[in-house]
Amino acid sequence: MINSDLQALITTLEMAALTTVILLIIGTPLAWYLAKMTSRFKVIIEAVVALPLVLPPTVLGFYLLIAFSPEHLPGQLWQQTTGQQLAFSFSAIVIGSVLYSLPFVVQPLQKAFEQLGDSLLEAGALLGAGPIDRFFSIVLPLTKASFITAASLGFAHTVGEFGVILMIGGNIPGETRVLSIALFDHVEAFDYARAHLLAISLLIGSMVLLAAIYWLNLPKRPQDKARMEQKESLTYE
Amino acid sequence: MSSTLHNHAALSEVSIDSPSQLDIKINVNYRQFTLTIQLPIPLKGITGIFGHSASGKSTLLRAIAGLEQTLEGEITLADKKLVDTKQGLYLKPEQRQVGLVFQNSRLFDHLSVLANLEYAVKRCKNNKLSLDEIIKLTELTALLDHRVTELSGGQQQRAALARAILAEPKLLLLDEPLSALDQHSKAQLLKMMLTIQKKLNLPMLYVSHSLDELQQVCDTLIVMSKGKVIDSGNIHQVIHRLNSYGDADIMHQQTSLSLPIKQFDNGHGLTTLALNAKQDIFLLANEDFEQQTLLRCFILASDISISLTEASDSSIVNHICGTIKQISHQRNNVLVTVHCNSQDFFVMISAFSLQKLSLTIKQQVYLQFKAGAVRTFIH
Repeated sequence: MINSDLQALITTLEMAALTTVILLIIGTPLAWYLAKMTSRFKVIIEAVVALPLVLPPTVLGFYLLIAFSPEHLPGQLWQQTTGQQLAFSFSAIVIGSVLYSLPFVVQPLQKAFEQLGDSLLEAGALLGAGPIDRFFSIVLPLTKASFITAASLGFAHTVGEFGVILMIGGNIPGETRVLSIALFDHVEAFDYARAHLLAISLLIGSMVLLAAIYWLNLPKRPQDKARMEQKESLTYE
Repeated sequence: MSSTLHNHAALSEVSIDSPSQLDIKINVNYRQFTLTIQLPIPLKGITGIFGHSASGKSTLLRAIAGLEQTLEGEITLADKKLVDTKQGLYLKPEQRQVGLVFQNSRLFDHLSVLANLEYAVKRCKNNKLSLDEIIKLTELTALLDHRVTELSGGQQQRAALARAILAEPKLLLLDEPLSALDQHSKAQLLKMMLTIQKKLNLPMLYVSHSLDELQQVCDTLIVMSKGKVIDSGNIHQVIHRLNSYGDADIMHQQTSLSLPIKQFDNGHGLTTLALNAKQDIFLLANEDFEQQTLLRCFILASDISISLTEASDSSIVNHICGTIKQISHQRNNVLVTVHCNSQDFFVMISAFSLQKLSLTIKQQVYLQFKAGAVRTFIH
């Protein structure tokens, strides 16, 4: 792989990793809140979270570009606190990715928390476990698979992002030039050989990642079967 | 003689209990359901809470445990205020030192049986109880390494009971813990509850819709209906008052007794109970009685018949002389209360028999029932 493409790969992985970490930190409480929420506003928040699923990425990118520009408040605030312009920066594409991949992290977690229900948490509370304790001793181990799914989907979706980054990140090598943008560049330049190389590596990489998720979520068949049989024999003891 | 001795033994057992009380003055309002409870519950032994489904029993337990958020009023356990909504006080469940065993065990699937028990031990502040002792009491020794999903219903409830106890609560709540179990597991768990209650001196509030279960273990009974307490007191007296409701949906009309065992086996497979100084009651011997001094039993009103003279030529073993105290008509039947030496018996006869024998108040009659009619639980 050629040097500039390698740099694009590193930028992509950095962006996706940081985005995934941020998404897990803000996505977990948001998913928890949505799972426990009974108010009418729940559907509105859910719709906002799900919006990136249906919205053309360029629409989100366009509004973010405006917001991040130094003429507008978010961009201004960023410039005042960090001394750097937000638009066309690595930070901009991470923020964009966080918003764009939000549903991929929040939705599996929310579903897992809803399925878990309150009964085991009530049992934990009556044994003296406080809320934080209950989260780490009961919720996390029981929804581990959903956390893995959420993190992997968030990561993979961020790697595959194009439209938002094109709008708010531009194409600065080492800063905002990610794999999907580099691929587009090669096609524009009719350099199909390098485009093929990038495309096939993205394809295989995503395939491997997704296969790994599904494999991790697979019930461990032989053990489960043995467990079921054992359970049956115990019931008729 | 022997009967008074046994009574003394029973009394001293009860008085070991630390005199504490649960004071409840609460209102829980839902759209279609209101629970209004104003009741001091003396925490001695096992107190039963009985009622139809949807009578508010479980809501009451959840309120005591801190799982019911929408309530107003006060709950005080011994000297500790758990809830006082006027003062804005509402202790979280984890701050109450109240245990709860649910209908379904609610064990943690991701942990082994032992790890479930240790979950409680790790979070317990006192750690006075020995884990090994509780494991032995609940007969879990052979199951410790098992995953909870591998356990049968009865085993799961035993593990849930052990886990709740190991948190060392001041009060243990039991919400229909036996309702999903078979007869054998039910009997086993009831026995365990009694043993644990006595050994640890842990007061329990036991909710059930089955009077049969409650009268095997409870000293005090609280009856709820439509979100209110309609009766409470000594379990036998409450059951006898319930007889007059004539509500066959919730219970069988019966005479409920706690009697000292005079002789475990009379040589013919019958156990002798002392009804009073002069009269005995016979029932079929069961090896479970062997270690007991006092036996809980009941006789269904439909299992007793009335005769005007004492039959000496009958296979029926129980003949008891008494006077009619009350006659009340219930649909086509008549419930006759017969008083025998400070003990009331309840007899269900047909209106036809009442007329045939022309029974009247204060008349002397003989009650007859077979040994098999004296039950310790319904099969």
